[in-house]
Formats: sequence, C-alpha cells, structure tokens
Amino acid sequence: MSSSKNDDPISEKILNVAKKNPKGISDKDILAAVPELSAAELVSAINKLLQEGLFDLYNQGGSLIYRLKGQSSKQAVKGADNEEKVVYNLIEDAGNKGIWIRDIRLRSNIANTQLTKVLKNLESKKVIKAVKCVNASKKKVYMLYNLEPDRSISGGAWYQDQDFESEFVDILNRQCLRFLQQRADKIKNNPKGPVVGRTQSFASAVEVQKYITDLGISNVKLEVEDVITILNTLVYDGKAESNVLSDGSKVYRAIESLIPPPGLVQVPCGVCPLILKCCSTGLITPQDCKYMDDWLEN
Amino acid sequence: MSHQLGRVVSEILHQYFGEIVQKVGHDLFIYGSKPIPMIVKTTGLPRKQVVESLRSLVKFDLASFEPSFNEVVADYKLNPDNVLLLIRYPRYLLQIKTKFGSEAEILVEELLQQASCTASVLLVTVAAKYKDDKEKNITLVKLRDIFISIATARYIQQAPVADKSEVPSLEPVATIVPDIDIRQLAQAMATDTLADVNDNIYWKVNFDRFHQDFRDDIMVKAITRRIDENAGELMHLLLQQMYLTSAEWAAESNPTPALDLRDAVHRTDRPDCDRKLLQQYMDHYLRVLEENGAGFVVRVGEAGGGQYVVRGRHAATQLLLAALDHTVTERLGSKAARIFRLIRTKKYIEEDDIQKHAMLPNKECKELTYKLLEEHFISIQPMRKAASSGAMAKAVYLYHIKLHDVAQSLREMCYRALHNTLRRGQHTRAAHARLLDKQRRVRSIVHSMRVRGEPQQHIDDHTRAAHARLLDKQRRVRSIVHSMRVRGEPQQHIDDHTRAAHARLLDKQRRVRSIVHSMRVRGEPQQHIDDVEETLTPPELSTLKDVEARLKQLSAAQLALDKNLFILNWYFMYPH
Repeated sequence: MSSSKNDDPISEKILNVAKKNPKGISDKDILAAVPELSAAELVSAINKLLQEGLFDLYNQGGSLIYRLKGQSSKQAVKGADNEEKVVYNLIEDAGNKGIWIRDIRLRSNIANTQLTKVLKNLESKKVIKAVKCVNASKKKVYMLYNLEPDRSISGGAWYQDQDFESEFVDILNRQCLRFLQQRADKIKNNPKGPVVGRTQSFASAVEVQKYITDLGISNVKLEVEDVITILNTLVYDGKAESNVLSDGSKVYRAIESLIPPPGLVQVPCGVCPLILKCCSTGLITPQDCKYMDDWLEN
Repeated sequence: MSHQLGRVVSEILHQYFGEIVQKVGHDLFIYGSKPIPMIVKTTGLPRKQVVESLRSLVKFDLASFEPSFNEVVADYKLNPDNVLLLIRYPRYLLQIKTKFGSEAEILVEELLQQASCTASVLLVTVAAKYKDDKEKNITLVKLRDIFISIATARYIQQAPVADKSEVPSLEPVATIVPDIDIRQLAQAMATDTLADVNDNIYWKVNFDRFHQDFRDDIMVKAITRRIDENAGELMHLLLQQMYLTSAEWAAESNPTPALDLRDAVHRTDRPDCDRKLLQQYMDHYLRVLEENGAGFVVRVGEAGGGQYVVRGRHAATQLLLAALDHTVTERLGSKAARIFRLIRTKKYIEEDDIQKHAMLPNKECKELTYKLLEEHFISIQPMRKAASSGAMAKAVYLYHIKLHDVAQSLREMCYRALHNTLRRGQHTRAAHARLLDKQRRVRSIVHSMRVRGEPQQHIDDHTRAAHARLLDKQRRVRSIVHSMRVRGEPQQHIDDHTRAAHARLLDKQRRVRSIVHSMRVRGEPQQHIDDVEETLTPPELSTLKDVEARLKQLSAAQLALDKNLFILNWYFMYPH
C-alpha cells in the first residue's frame, strides 16, 4: 500500500480521514481531523498525495473535494492484456467528457482493427460504454461505464437521446414568464414607492427554479443554470429584463414592449411575403390585393 | 430619396391636389431641381398649368425655389418630407384640440388650408364662418386670445419673408407675439372689407413644435408602459425642464438638477398620476427611471441633488428597436425575433452559438437565421483565416445587425405600405367618380327647385324618380355580375362592377342625407323626412356601412403608418 511507504504522519492522517469518507473530503474535513496543521503544510501534503496519484480532485459546489482513488475500477481490468490496460487508462483519463476513437488510436498507437476488438471486449465486460455526442450525431465517445456523461456530450436537461426537446423548452419558457408576470404589476403605483415595488417585481433564478419544481412539469431535475438559460431566452424574447443586484446575483422582471405594435404590422403589407414584388402595375398590385381584401373584409 | 418615397409622394399629391400637380411633383422628384421650361418640356403640360401647380406646391411649402446659374431664373425643387406631412394634418388638429380646445382647432385648420395668412384675415374669416353657429359661440375676442396663446406656445410662427432680389430667397424671421387691435377687426368684419387693416405679417403652422409634442408623447407613453403613470409623469416633467435649457431635438439634453424637478413635481396637476406618491418617492422614481427606463434618462452628476440628462438619440434608437422587434415578430414569428434580439445583444455571433443561446432545434434555428438574412434584418461578416494556417483553416461567419441599414429597409417597407393603402383608397374613390357627375346634377336640380320655392311634394317626387332609376340600374348590375359569375369571368371584372355599385350607393346616401338635412332646416314634418330616409333599404345601408368602414380603415392605417415613420425619421435625425 502506498500509505505504508508514506512515513509522513500528516499524510497518514489525511489518508485515514479519506478512507473513512469514501465520498470525498474537503479542506475543512482535513483541518478538523488534523487541527495542528498550517495552511502551507496542508497544501504541500495534498500536493504530494496528488502527485502520487492517490487522490482524485473534484470541484463540488465551488469547493475542492479530495477523494481516494477507487481500487475497484482497477480490478475490473484484471486479467486484461496490455492493450486493454492502455486503452482503459486513456478512457479513464478522459473522465466524463469521453474520448473519441480516433484520439485513442493516435495516442495508444494500436492498429484500427485491434483497437475495435479491444473496445468491444471492454464494452462487453461493462467496463466502458459508448455515448453518442449531441453536437455531432456520428461521433461516438467512450467513457467508463459508471460515469454520467458531461453536459457538453449529453446536452443536459434539454436533450432526450440526442434530440432537442423544443416543446419542453417552450413550456418552461411560458411557465417562467407566467411566474414573472404574476409579480410584474407590483411596480405599478406601489404605495411603498417604486424601488420597493421593483424589488418585489424581481425574481431570482432560484425562486423560479423552485416554482418550476413545485409545478412538477419536469421529470428531469432542473439545475439553477438550466433555469437561467430559460430565463435568458425570455430576455431575448423581449418579454423580460435582467438586472444585477448589488450582491452580484441576477434577477429578472417581466416587461412590456416600449411601444404597441407599430403601424407597419397593422396593415397587411407589413407581414406580406410578396411586398417586394408588389408594383403599381402587373400581377401583384395594391388595387386587387387579396390580402387587403381579406383585411378590409373584417 | 428612394423609388418608394417617390411613389408615395406622387400618390399623396394625387389625392390632395389632383393629377396635374401630381405630374409636376413627380417630375420634380425624379429630376431634382429644374426651371419651369424644363418642367414644361418633360411633363408635356401647358406652361400655365405648370406654373399653377408650382404655385400651389410652393404655397404649401411642398416645393422650394432658388436662383439657378442664371440669376434671374429660378430652379424648383420638391420637398418630399413636407409632402408626407400632409397625412399628419389630422393629428395636428387633434393635438391642438386636446391642448387648447376646439377654437384653436378651427384656427389651425383654417391656417393649414390657407398655408399662410395674416392674423387679421385669419381671425375675421374664422369669425365670419361661425357667425351663425350659436352652439360654438365663437367671438373675435376669444379667437384673438386663442391665437395669442398658440403663437406664444409656438404652434404657429411667422412665415419667412422674401427679400428684394430677382429670384427672392425666403429669410426666416423671429416670431414676435402680435398685439391685435380687436376694434379694428370688429369694424372690418362689420363692413366686410379688410382693406383698412394694415397687417402684413404672415403666419404659418410650426410643424416642428407639433412633432416635439408627438415625440414627448411617445416617450412618456413608453415609460408608462415600462414602469407606471407616475414615472411617465416624471418623464414628462423632465422633458419640460429640458426645453428650458437645451435645444429641442438635442441628442442629449443639458443636465437638469433634481431640485428643479422637485419644484415641478409640486406644481404638477395631471389627473392620471398619483401626485402624493410621486412627491413622496420622487428620488426612488428617478432611480427606477434611470435603471429600468430603457436608458431614456441617465444620471450624470451629484450637484443639486443629482443631475439628470434626457437622451433623445438613445430613446429614438430604443424605440426603433422596439418597432423592429415587432416587425420581425409579425413577419417571421417570435422565434425569429428571439434570434434577432440575441444577435443584437451579442453584437457578433457565430451560427452555433445562436443555436445554443436561443434554445431552438438546430434545423429550425438555421432556417430562421437564413430567413432573417434573406429579408435583410441581419448581416453576415465572414472572417477568413490566413492561408498559412493550413487545411484546417475554416472561415468563421459572424452574424450581426447593421442598425442603420435595417432602419432604412424598414422605412422603405413603410413607404410601400403607405403607398399601397393610399392607392387602394384612391382606387375605391376613383370607381365612385363616374357617378359624382350624376349626383351633382341631381343636387343642382333639387337646389334650384328649393330656390324657386316649389312644394316639397315635387322635390320628393324628383328624388324618388332618381332613386327608381338608380335601383333599376343596380338591379341590372347585379344581374350582369351574376351572369359573369356564371360565365366564369375573371374576378377583377366582377370587382369593378361591385365597386361601381358601391359608388352609386354612397352617392345615394349622400344625396338622401343632404335632402334630409335641408328638410330639417326648413322644419319639414317628420313624415316627409322618414319617407326619404326609407328609400335606402336595409341591405343597401349595410353595404354602404361596409364601404365606409373600409375607407375609414384605410385612413386609420395611413395614420398608424405615419406614426411608425415618425419614429424612423426621428432616428434618422441624428447622425449615425
């Protein structure tokens, strides 16, 4: 075991803590276990452990998490030949982003036919899996079997088997707008003054996310970022505006367009697909325009 | 000076001044400025008619002149922008009526008809016109007061004065609010001659002042939509303060201190705003106006409780963008509008990124983007990589919006639409023109009968006879239309006939109305009036209503288009 080689008592203690928490430990946990440790010592100790490849580093909710490298995955390739080991390591390094078969071939220097055989082998052992990429439907990437594909590969909540779910997005878009509109009127003639009214008419992404979750229209768990994406489409629709509060968080408010529909779109010419072909004489003229007939009929 | 503008201008001139002026106006529009002999040559009209047309054009400020190379000959030039204003006249009247009451409306209407006129002539003509109207109770004194107040408010101004050279040039003069001697005018009215009144100051309507009102109105309404009525009122007060310190159309006004604004808020008496709330929370309102008011107002300093600037140019751009958004939404759907806005927010963006941010399926997104490109709402900027980067070099295509160009094409579209509605209205009216002659004949007969004092019975007989003829003819038209339909003739022929039938009906209605009116005036028994009114049968009435509604809808559309053009022209007023 690597810990036995390590005679440094600090590393020893850290490793012990990490073993007790298979889900990973943060800086705080370490400090709690080894209170006498200074920050500089901690950093050097952890760097050392990382260098030895004992720890995996993760970013969870803004703080770093150290996790003892699992031994089980290593065992999965037991009994495998050298090629399989090489390929497995490459795929493991790629993490949840996956790796393209071409890149594996380039890096491992294994011939194409052999590589496919190796990959098939690993796949049948359920050690790795092939995932189709959302951006390029032909491109397959490989990753470890137990990993959840990254957003850039799976497309996140908006994709179902590589298909973009526009109806789902539309429904969410409408629901978010409804939520914002319920609050929008608070700014009008608010007896407590417009600043209070405005604050009441704002909604943060977290609030919107809670509302959407409570509605229960989504089977998929929506993250705050997903809701922000939806809220941004509302901003692009011109139905909402976003402000940044003093603490840096973004808030949204439903708004109306500055002007009612202008004159151009009130006449059929404004929406006429033939407007560029309309002349004083010829086949398309305002005198016997069918669209205008219909419009004047109502 | 586009082709579309030429078409609109020509159509407007035709509607308001007739065919000859239209011909001259269009000729001037195409060739720029030219002297009379050249106009005679290209239009093929007699010199007298050309001169007369030019006279009316110059009178209404639709054309201008300047000495040509040879200094005794004048070159004439059309002012297309002023021609477009002819459509806006109803709005001017409405505006002055809401601000100064119906007497002011009558004054401005008369002045618009006269183009330019001295104060005494104007007042006496209006007073004489409404002498017998007991309801309105218009007196010279009242008219004089109104005249002075609208002159003070600069809704009318002194017309420019010609100098003494061979081809006079018009020099604008400063407007001085006049002192009108009411006794002299009363005397002139009594003697029915204006020869004694020595008044050589001519007045005309100051369109620019009205346009400022329109602009203020748009801005206040926009803020009201965005925030609330109180904020709208605050915007209104800010604009009023701006007039005191800056040029009317300044891109950015001079700063207004919040203290001045507070005084103004205390004095305001607008019914639609909650004054107490506004007074109490004025600072809050200013802050919200600055942060959420689409950038119409910005804070520039702290002196005097905060200095605020009204950004006219920015407001015009914002309103233009709002109009563009509406247009894109209506033409290509709300998804396209989303892409349009997205590109605007990101300035330059690649196709892949559009898809990612707009949250649209790949195919639909591409399709809409290309449609936007096809209709010239967005532009594309290819960025080629240097050849040295090898085979991997792929050009990047960046989408972006050239606002000035898009605004131009929107204006062209407005011109087209305006032309089409005008043309359509004129077409409907032209179909009626054939029967106007007949109507005039019937009217003159009725009139002469009345003058000769013939008994009412005869008059009624006559109208009935005329109606009978009309009804007969209508029946014939209907049968013709029917047989055409049976024979499967093209729709256009049938339409022509239906229009002709409408014309007759409209005519008839007008005639019946005038007869009824004259009967009422003479105090005829109700029985007779009913008789005449009943000659219009219910189906005829409904058809008439339909035709009238169509013409009304067309003119309403023209006004709406004019409002749209106003925003566009406001945007183009500032250099970009």
